[in-house]
Amino acid sequence: MKSLVLVKQVPDANSVFRINAEGTWIDESNLSFAMNDYDRYALEELLKLKDAGKLEEVVALTVGSPEASSVLRTCLAMGADRAIHVKHEASSRLDPLSIARLVVAATRDQDFSLILAGLQADDDNHTQIGGLVAGVLDWPSATAVMSLELKDGGTLRVERELENNELQVVDLKLPAVLSVQTGINSPRYATLKGIMGAKKKPVTTLTAADLGVEATSGLRSVSLSPPPTGKGADVLSGSPDEVATQLVSRIREKTGVL
Amino acid sequence: MQSKIIVLAEHDGKVPREISLELLGLAHRIKEGSEVKAVLLGSGIESAAAELASRGAAEVVYVEGTAVENYNVDAFRKSIEPILNDEAPDLVLIGHTPNGWDVAAPLAGRLGVPLVTGCAQITMSDERTLFTRKAFNGKFVHQVEVTGARPLLATVDKGASAPFDGTTSGTVRKIESRLSLEDLRASYIETRAGETGGLDLREADVIVSAGRGVGGPDKLGVVRELAEALGGQLGASRAVTDAGWLPHEHQIGSSGVSVSPKLYVACGISGAIQHVVGMKGSGYIVAINKDPDAPIFGVAHVGVVGDLFEIVPALTKALREAKGR
Ligand SMILES: Cc1cc2nc3c(=O)[nH]c(=O)nc-3n(C[C@H](O)[C@H](O)[C@H](O)COP(=O)(O)OP(=O)(O)OC[C@H]3O[C@@H](n4cnc5c(N)ncnc54)[C@H](O)[C@@H]3O)c2cc1C
Repeated sequence: MKSLVLVKQVPDANSVFRINAEGTWIDESNLSFAMNDYDRYALEELLKLKDAGKLEEVVALTVGSPEASSVLRTCLAMGADRAIHVKHEASSRLDPLSIARLVVAATRDQDFSLILAGLQADDDNHTQIGGLVAGVLDWPSATAVMSLELKDGGTLRVERELENNELQVVDLKLPAVLSVQTGINSPRYATLKGIMGAKKKPVTTLTAADLGVEATSGLRSVSLSPPPTGKGADVLSGSPDEVATQLVSRIREKTGVL
Repeated sequence: MQSKIIVLAEHDGKVPREISLELLGLAHRIKEGSEVKAVLLGSGIESAAAELASRGAAEVVYVEGTAVENYNVDAFRKSIEPILNDEAPDLVLIGHTPNGWDVAAPLAGRLGVPLVTGCAQITMSDERTLFTRKAFNGKFVHQVEVTGARPLLATVDKGASAPFDGTTSGTVRKIESRLSLEDLRASYIETRAGETGGLDLREADVIVSAGRGVGGPDKLGVVRELAEALGGQLGASRAVTDAGWLPHEHQIGSSGVSVSPKLYVACGISGAIQHVVGMKGSGYIVAINKDPDAPIFGVAHVGVVGDLFEIVPALTKALREAKGR
């Protein structure tokens, strides 16, 4: 059985973000990028299945700028067998539906039975790529998956995270698409051997034109701005000892716990 | 031009969930004079449907049947799709809840229309509809517009809108589900509680929580000492429990526990919405974070911008001195 994991390159969360000149998104120049955290868990889940002899192949795919090839190299170094890079210069301006259509077009006829994605991306927080791909393919899907088990007869048992520490157990017929929640496993790190080996693994590069998909931005970013100020914390200043003294008196005044 | 807005409602057995009433409230405010309808799926839900009809929906279409008795992505999507095709709404509102986002994206993919998720506000005029949401886990407010597609599909955050405050005398229409469980590719098995240890943070008067900013399990000591000095319990963000620095029972937030201590101290926590919903009911909130733009400062009462490894030990020391130890 062949599997696919969808991955995305996102700006490192510790970056200092500046809004771009048009005021529509962040200025992406001079940022450092990393693999979206949720996607690391999705990849690990497939690698575990492959280690257990339940999957033949794990393929990583990204729709992203030319620089996004580095996340594919990370996936290959962690253990993916091959990678597909759908190159798009302005991928952060593509709407999620176009990305889903590109994913489907790029993997058509490749016989994948299981597609995994991260629950959301840490930059746009869209929380929809997995479900959209399932909708376009007309496959069953599940989101916020916290455990998965391949059963006999082409079925998958998954546990979906609900709220308040509850889980929903669902069976899905394969082929299926899942989006994975953080904490489902402990993602592995690439080893030096993995990093060396990754160089020899195949990466297929495609474009929207190759795939005959008209990639649009039906979802247009109008503005990006800092959250409104006004209410919020009184920010204390001074040396650590000074702020500590101020905090103690605030806590004493306001809480009654001292 | 009159617009038609459909709310996809959720229920807990017999009663509509609060998010559904919030969506009805939002639907009435999005554009003056809109026609607002609700869709509800389940089994034995006539009274829940009637309640929605009195709390903002001009018509409630409810689908009854065993296939939709429990939430199931395949049955729900297949039941909602024909209703949307018949009704041809301009906008469909869905809760940004685990079941809401689970069905919204497959529905959008099938209908071939974009989806906007996690909205806090939506405004509509004859010319354009603007969706206000968050990006970068709350660091920024993101406004988006959908061009050239109908219906518009959006998921809306819990608690973002006030429920409809009037009463309506809407009609109720039942649709018997013809789906059979055998034909579905997804089946609901059960809902169960996640693992918990002995810790119950819901009763604590003081909680001191550690976030990813603490940097590692070996560095939790300073936060633990502050919790001890305050006679409180140790809480955590999901980043900390996912990484295994603390067991899951310490996790506060939408998928962890909701707490309401008299004092909550957040150390190295950014303040993502899923964390905030679990602690915003705290009496007094102190945030310590080195990023002045961290969203946690938007919910805290008092904040310190700085390195927690300098601030937290100084606070512990000052507390011990104040207590005369
Ligand atoms: C469906 C869903 C459910 C979720 N449920 C939950 C939940 O129940 N609970 C939860 O917490 N999250 C939950 N999350 C995850 C949530 O979105 C965030 O990812 C998480 O809360 C981030 O944790 P954090 O604030 O510790 O880490 P980060 O967001 O990485 O923030 C770390 C912070 O530490 C600061 N920092 C770093 N070093 C220092 C230092 N030396 N001194 C001071 N500050 C420092 C940084 O400035 C940053 O603000 C959920 C997400 C989803 C999608």
